[in-house]
Amino acid sequence: MTTIDRPNDLPADPHGGDHHDEGSYLTPKGGFWAVIWDWCTTVDHKKLGIMYLVAVLFLFFLGGISAMAVRLELWEPVRTLDQVVLLEDGTEATETITTGQLFKSGEGTDIAAGNNIYNRLFTLHGAIMTFMVIIPSIPAALGNFFLPIMLGAKDVAFPRLNLMSWWIYVIGSVFAVGSILLGGVDTGWTFYTPYSTTTDGYWNVLLMVGGAFILGFSSILTGLNFIVTVHKLRAPGMGWFDMPLFIWALYATAIIQVLATPVIGITLLLLIFERVFNVGIFDPAMGGDPVLFQHFFWFYSHPVVYVMILPGFGVISELIAVHAHKRLFGYRALAFASLGIAAVSFLVWGHHMFTSQGEVTAVIFSALTFLVAIPTAIKVFNWIATLYKSSISINTPMLYSYYFLFLFIIGGLTGLPLASLATDLHLHDSYFVVAHFHYVMMGSTIIAFIAGIHHWWPKMFGRMYNERWGMVGATLVFVGFNVTFFTQFFLGTRGMPRRYASYVDEFQLLHQISTVGSWILLLGFLVHLFVFLHSLISGPKAPPNPWGGLTLEWETESPPIEHNFHHEPLVKHGPYDFDEVHPPHCDPAEYPIPEPALGGKSH
Amino acid sequence: MAINLTTISAPALSGVTNTLGEGFWHNLFFRDNPNHPDGFIADGLFMFLWWLGVVWFVLLMGLATYWLIKYRRRPGVPAQRSASHNTPLEIAWTVIPTLILVVIFVWGFRGYMRFHIAESGGEEITLVANMWNWDLTYPNGQKSNLLTEEDLGADKRPVFVVPVDTPISLRMTSQDVIHSFWVPDFRVKLDVFPNRYSTYWFRATEVGDHWIFCAEYCGDQHSEMAAILRVVEPADYAQFLVDGGQDFATIPPAQAGQILSSSKGCVACHASTEAAGTGPGWAGTYGYEVRFTDGTSQIRDANYIRESILTPSVHIVEGYGNNMTPYAGVLTEDEINYLIAYIQSLSDKAPKSVFEVPGEGDGESGEGSETEDVEVDDMTQAETAEDTIAQTETAEIPGG
Amino acid sequence: MSTLPAPGPNVSGADEPKDARPLWQRYRAASHFRSRDEEFDAAKLGMWLFLTTEILLFAGVFVAYAYFRMLHPEAFANGSHYLDVRWGLLNTIVLLISSYTVAASIRCAQLNKQKMLKINLLITLVCGFLFLAIKFVFEYMPKWSEGKRPGSLFNYAYAENNFEHLWWSVYYTATGIHALHVIVGMGVLFVMYLKARKGFFGPKHYMGVEIAGLYWHLVDVIWIFLFPLLYLIH
Ligand code: HEA
Ligand code: HEA
Ligand code: CUA
Ligand SMILES: [Cu+2]
Repeated sequence: MTTIDRPNDLPADPHGGDHHDEGSYLTPKGGFWAVIWDWCTTVDHKKLGIMYLVAVLFLFFLGGISAMAVRLELWEPVRTLDQVVLLEDGTEATETITTGQLFKSGEGTDIAAGNNIYNRLFTLHGAIMTFMVIIPSIPAALGNFFLPIMLGAKDVAFPRLNLMSWWIYVIGSVFAVGSILLGGVDTGWTFYTPYSTTTDGYWNVLLMVGGAFILGFSSILTGLNFIVTVHKLRAPGMGWFDMPLFIWALYATAIIQVLATPVIGITLLLLIFERVFNVGIFDPAMGGDPVLFQHFFWFYSHPVVYVMILPGFGVISELIAVHAHKRLFGYRALAFASLGIAAVSFLVWGHHMFTSQGEVTAVIFSALTFLVAIPTAIKVFNWIATLYKSSISINTPMLYSYYFLFLFIIGGLTGLPLASLATDLHLHDSYFVVAHFHYVMMGSTIIAFIAGIHHWWPKMFGRMYNERWGMVGATLVFVGFNVTFFTQFFLGTRGMPRRYASYVDEFQLLHQISTVGSWILLLGFLVHLFVFLHSLISGPKAPPNPWGGLTLEWETESPPIEHNFHHEPLVKHGPYDFDEVHPPHCDPAEYPIPEPALGGKSH
Repeated sequence: MAINLTTISAPALSGVTNTLGEGFWHNLFFRDNPNHPDGFIADGLFMFLWWLGVVWFVLLMGLATYWLIKYRRRPGVPAQRSASHNTPLEIAWTVIPTLILVVIFVWGFRGYMRFHIAESGGEEITLVANMWNWDLTYPNGQKSNLLTEEDLGADKRPVFVVPVDTPISLRMTSQDVIHSFWVPDFRVKLDVFPNRYSTYWFRATEVGDHWIFCAEYCGDQHSEMAAILRVVEPADYAQFLVDGGQDFATIPPAQAGQILSSSKGCVACHASTEAAGTGPGWAGTYGYEVRFTDGTSQIRDANYIRESILTPSVHIVEGYGNNMTPYAGVLTEDEINYLIAYIQSLSDKAPKSVFEVPGEGDGESGEGSETEDVEVDDMTQAETAEDTIAQTETAEIPGG
Repeated sequence: MSTLPAPGPNVSGADEPKDARPLWQRYRAASHFRSRDEEFDAAKLGMWLFLTTEILLFAGVFVAYAYFRMLHPEAFANGSHYLDVRWGLLNTIVLLISSYTVAASIRCAQLNKQKMLKINLLITLVCGFLFLAIKFVFEYMPKWSEGKRPGSLFNYAYAENNFEHLWWSVYYTATGIHALHVIVGMGVLFVMYLKARKGFFGPKHYMGVEIAGLYWHLVDVIWIFLFPLLYLIH
């Protein structure tokens, strides 16, 4: 086990040393404006984490609302009908009317103008949800708050860089969301050329693409910060394999962020050049190649789906261990699986292009894609094996972890028909894909995110939330989610293409079921919102360790003091040694240590 | 690929495939049996993956649920000690999925290669996609954009006709952005690129109608690129190649002429505009005077046009060569009439009656619905015809 | 960049007694680091990671270059003939010199040769400036005015190949992004120079110059790749 040696020449640092009579990081310093200024310029990873959390939830709300609008438009297909109308002079005339189009542009029967609104809605939805919600969600919000604390550090390695990433994130989001004010973007979140370079709305597209470009920097810098922090700032006594799995997951994520994001940077930059200077590299009319864009785009955007899911895996590992009060089964396997997924994720991007590329590449990419399923499967098995002979508290985080397993297994398994060549030719760009990625993004990552928020809520805000209503919300979300998206698998196999503002009649029933599901989802999230607000206003005060966790964040107070710990912690046990130590700040009688098994120590 | 995959017969595969690819569960996922000889592989694989998924899901979630209930927390009772890892178990659950994945990969790979390697023989049809239409050109030059469109409940969709049990290769390209040609009942789609060809191969196994969708997002009317692929008996197809599925007795003669002009190959040399090709463009010919190579000149009337079709070498318009094959004996009298009507309709000196009605009395039923079915505003070839016909029909063309 | 040393309150806290030692001796690591060395290590690791991202960014450009070279070999062969190897070579030499001087400046900081430190930084800056000047005045400007421009701006009357505009697209993109990096690098080095004038760097504290130097070497290395690709391979 590698431990960091305490350097002998420790300076007599007034800021190092101990922090005995420090208040919570949330204690306001000064008046209203002073507090605002303090939050805007803070380098405290906790405050930055909270700000990310608020921003991400707000953008999730925006993205969610546009999803609700998308679902509403799909309630009915758009039809043009000839209708006999009575004119003023008493004669009859036929008039063409449009029905089933919720979003219209002005009067009349111009279907295209209405479709255009729909196209802007799903692009907005996709862009917000990927670039602004799910990528920063767990790493930037929960990760920023808890990575240093779980490592026993006072802050991330480069606090000011962290502040900079936050502001870059804000600017990028303002750019991207601001493009709505100019009338929106209708390229789809994938920005495929030559459509994206020719569609109208010059500035809108530039703003959106520019926004995504800027957001990329935020992602890179956060990742870079996390890698260095993990390498250099682990508390004394904490070797690599004493790190909580959440940290492992964030570490693997950060590697992908640092290695993949620059490529989307250059891709979007080239796209901007293409649009502004007409350089022609993606323009077939000028000898360029639109498929090159697709390769560039997916070289980033496939690894990025693991940027989305790995932190979710980390959260679930943490939650299952703590709420089942059980040492995780196969700690090292879980850690290495995260790294393995990160490594393989770079080799499979071509599986998004089976219908657009040559046969040899398609075959290679298909084979490589299946590789990624192996470490993922291992993770699932380990989580479930952990439940065996454990002691499971049923509460919102645990319930959500259970739902996560449920939804992720479905989401992951439906990746297999997409990865296998013969079936993807049918399923590509159909609602089957839409259902697949909502199961893994919304059903897994967002669920893990919300689960994590509940789990760490007492630590972050020092108050408990209402457990009963938390579980009600969770269940509504779970049910609503399945109603919304399981139907979409059938839509997809039956031939419904994605990004369709309208459809042929035979799909209507399934679409309506899906839309009803989205209302249940909305209801579920509103319950969560209510529970959170209620807790902030009148929740009971949280103890330092409400769940009996062993990782370092439960050692400090709820909410943590400004420098996280009163003394620099010295790590003496592993993060999941529930069968060896009593959790800190807890009544030992509540968390007894099991009798040694007959065969002695089990390690 | 080096291996010749067309020869893989895969009897074992098709056994599994056939049992999986039908019945209740199959009908839940698919609206119909695949209409493509290789679609069965895809369906079989899909259903296999479905059952595989069900098994894994039930196994894993069953265990999780059972343990969640059995081991729920009782205050003061700790989790029991148990191993934190178990090497044989872990090896097993690494190796088993790996083996399953190998099977899935090979199965998918075979199906894919079958989808990609065309059966030999058959027809090649050219497909040009643009925002937001599919335009097919049949081997005889017949253009789909002049042909049928069908009312299905409320939606009008263009209809493309192909023969049953004949291998068809669609040579596809796009005029603007990327589109993707998808016939869900064939279980295969292929992207259509500008400045490049992709070949979509299929052999429809039964007579019937199928949806065609555009599966690559291409802008405002991406969702309106739906069309119908009508699989018909070869004899009907042959007939279709000539008349485009129209009953010439019930449509305006000019329209019939227009269809013939492409199915008989006239458009190869004669533009429907005034632009000169191998032969003179047709717009603005009828009723106008023209000079011939022998120095004489004449106003071009119906008789002149008839002569030019049947025995073109008699008068050669100045500036052109004697390049046209005589059509005497090739066209029926009716067909000549239709063609003349069409050429007349391209000129502003045409008599009104040419494109108004097929016959005063029986026109009532035909006129309202039938003429409307022509997707006039989508003609790319017949620019002028579009204008002329559009002028007289503005009342019936929805939205312009 | 936070990789630059944090001057912050720990450099000369107002509440502390006046300290007459030079700045580099008084420097203390930011409070969440256990020691100065640890901070230095962290900064170096951070910078290396950052350089990785930069290389990956350029990797995209190189891939585009390779891909279009493959698609349109003649256009690219013609294109590189239009470039004057002599200017390219001169610029390569200029950048190599600057790389040497920036390395020398780090050595000077370690040896506490304050004067040479500043001079070396200045020479580096001058080299950077020279590079840009040559690029703009002798390469970009004449080419642009002859119509050798990227994409649809291309307007060169004597083009021999239909796709030469793509060559210029790649050329301007690659060298343009590189030039941008030179400018950023010069900015960073200039800040280092100002700090050096205040006596910020010395044997125990040369983190800033070292980090800036790493960045400058990267700018150099990228050029070392661009030069043969654009100028030498016909
Ligand atoms: C969080 C994000 C996330 C995650 C984790 C995944 C995970 C996977 N995805 Fe998904 N995917 C997306 C997000 C994600 N995907 C998105 C956003 C798109 C669409 C983008 C767009 O076009 O807009 C997409 C599209 C997409 C495609 C392209 C479809 C198309 O457009 O034609 C493919 C094809 O291969 C694919 C495959 C996979 C596979 C094999 C996995 C695997 O990692 C899954 C592995 C998991 C399991 C296999 C389940 C657990 C294991 C078991 C239960 C044990 C039993 C298992 C076996 C026996 C194998 N995905
Ligand atoms: C993180 C990713 C993410 C998430 C979470 C979602 C969530 C949802 N998505 Fe979407 N979706 C995408 C990513 C995501 N989506 C992407 C990438 C695309 C492709 C875009 C493209 O093709 O370009 C897409 C496309 C897409 C389509 C296909 C459009 C088309 O192809 O035509 C549809 C259609 O049903 C849809 C629906 C939904 C619905 C109903 C939800 C619901 O789950 C939303 C529910 C959320 C809410 C209702 C908000 C409630 C929030 C609050 C009340 C705030 C308070 C909350 C708390 C305090 C917790 N999405
Ligand atoms: Cu054409 Cu979508
Ligand atoms: Cu992918």
